[in-house]
Amino acid sequence: MVRFQEISKAFGAIRAVDRVSLEIAPAAITILAGADGAGKSTLFKMLVGLVKKDSGAILLNGADVGDDYSRVTSVCGYMPEKFSLYSDLSVEENMDFFAAVQQVPEQRRRELKQRLLERTGMEPFRGRRAGALSGGMKQKLALSTILLSSPQLIILDEPTTGVDPLSRIEFFAIIEELKREGRTIVMSTPYLDEAEKGDHIVLMRKGRVLRQDSIAGLRRAFPARMFRILPRGNVFAAMQGIAADPELAGRAYLRGKFIRCLQEGRENPGARIPHLEMVEEQPTLEDMYIYYERQA
Amino acid sequence: MSGAAPAIEVRDLRKDFGRFQAVKGVSFDVAGGEIVGFLGPNGAGKTTTIKMITGLLKITSGTVRVEGLDIREHPAAARRKMGYMSQKFSLYPLLTALENIDFFAGISGLAPGERRRHAARIRQDLPEAVLRQKVQDIPPGIRQKVAMFVCLMPDPGIILLDEPTSGVDPEARRLFWNDIYGLKTQGKTLLVSTHNLDEAEYCDRILILHNGELIAAGEPDELLRRQGKADIEELFKDAIHDHGQN
Ligand SMILES: Nc1ncnc2c1ncn2[C@@H]1O[C@H](COP(=O)(O)OP(=O)(O)OP(=O)(O)O)[C@@H](O)[C@H]1O
Ligand SMILES: [Mg+2]
Repeated sequence: MVRFQEISKAFGAIRAVDRVSLEIAPAAITILAGADGAGKSTLFKMLVGLVKKDSGAILLNGADVGDDYSRVTSVCGYMPEKFSLYSDLSVEENMDFFAAVQQVPEQRRRELKQRLLERTGMEPFRGRRAGALSGGMKQKLALSTILLSSPQLIILDEPTTGVDPLSRIEFFAIIEELKREGRTIVMSTPYLDEAEKGDHIVLMRKGRVLRQDSIAGLRRAFPARMFRILPRGNVFAAMQGIAADPELAGRAYLRGKFIRCLQEGRENPGARIPHLEMVEEQPTLEDMYIYYERQA
Repeated sequence: MSGAAPAIEVRDLRKDFGRFQAVKGVSFDVAGGEIVGFLGPNGAGKTTTIKMITGLLKITSGTVRVEGLDIREHPAAARRKMGYMSQKFSLYPLLTALENIDFFAGISGLAPGERRRHAARIRQDLPEAVLRQKVQDIPPGIRQKVAMFVCLMPDPGIILLDEPTSGVDPEARRLFWNDIYGLKTQGKTLLVSTHNLDEAEYCDRILILHNGELIAAGEPDELLRRQGKADIEELFKDAIHDHGQN
């Protein structure tokens, strides 16, 4: 639905986004994952025209957007990282206000508002002041306000950052429902376990794309293997041995009573770590992120 | 288990703020030398419980014993056994890491010789250049490492960390947990609250708090097996769901 071609943006000496190309497929969830300063927010702001790109092109359904960002904004709902709600207005008043701003017709507004309140589980709180909501509920309200215009493309900048795990799980369930309705979702997150649930995952660091693919594709292309090792004897002693071993240092870390260790070459870590048990496991997105980040 | 008192013993602990019951009768032990993870949604009562354990917040009813010492009867002695990094703890952003260490060592009443010893200790872990940077310019992961170092300067046996890994990037998060294991090898006891469910796997035991009540407690593997759940996320979600929301 959207294609970024070689997009760059510098702020002074900082290359916030550096020749990024990616495709946001329709009716799918695309997730940009990366720590602070990866360039996720800047990329979104360029998409909706809040920040002017230095170079590159943005295509919407195959056509170059050029300088006419209204072509994007007319089909999208954008939830910025620091979204704004009116804390002294109630949940319902906030929704009415944003519906009015987005010129949603009266009849449609009433129907949609009711549906959204039910779907997000906020119906019992419709009269509560937004300022008195928990972080997770504020997030859901902010999402609801952008859904009032029934956008085809939904852009969410770190919607779950700092939100507790239960709210994060619930929020993601709503996103998946929107996808099933055929909407296109692109969101960013610093949580790699959450990013694993995306259809297309873009690993970003310092303005550049490290890798992008589905989780299965990323795993297939991953050049290293991950092992879970139950060491013989004391696990901390084993870790100290690893720290002193130049072949293994920096590739292993403790996880409960196990050591997880990445094998990069042919050398089998089991041969260097006395162990009771060694099992190969699928690398997590976090494993892959850290691996590529180090190589960058 | 031996007859020694647990590191932390919490019994029927309650906290009311006016008519609101933030913690509704919670009981658990933390054994010496274990890492216990404290999970739960926003507002579950994690911070409130931790603050009552440390003696910073008045207990409405119930008891807290720290290595056998009742926190209300022997607050000073019990507190000396504990180190606490609060959820909101922050270093002074405009001071360098070393200046912060000096400052906090000063207010913890450490003698100058001790302070120099601590400064030497952190130099083994972090490059001098980083330590001389203003805290606001240090990456969050390293900043958090310095913050924990500062909180643990008095060298307590029991350590309470409230959300130490929020906002920390993935690699720094692993290194941070390696440090926590390092503390465990030194025989320390740790109670760590977190919103990162994957960190449950790092803990010897987890406690899940919801609406001021303890709704699950045990070893992560054991809990998953006993309750037939695929992963911690499912366990967490279902525990809260079964317990009724709000
Ligand atoms: N000083 C206070 N006065 C009134 N209510 C309070 C006070 N401190 C905490 N609460 C309430 O007690 C409940 C428990 O809060 P607490 O901060 O302990 O939760 P938590 O589990 O640490 O949450 P989080 O994950 O957001 O840190 C919340 O409903 C909170 O609003
Ligand atoms: Mg808290």
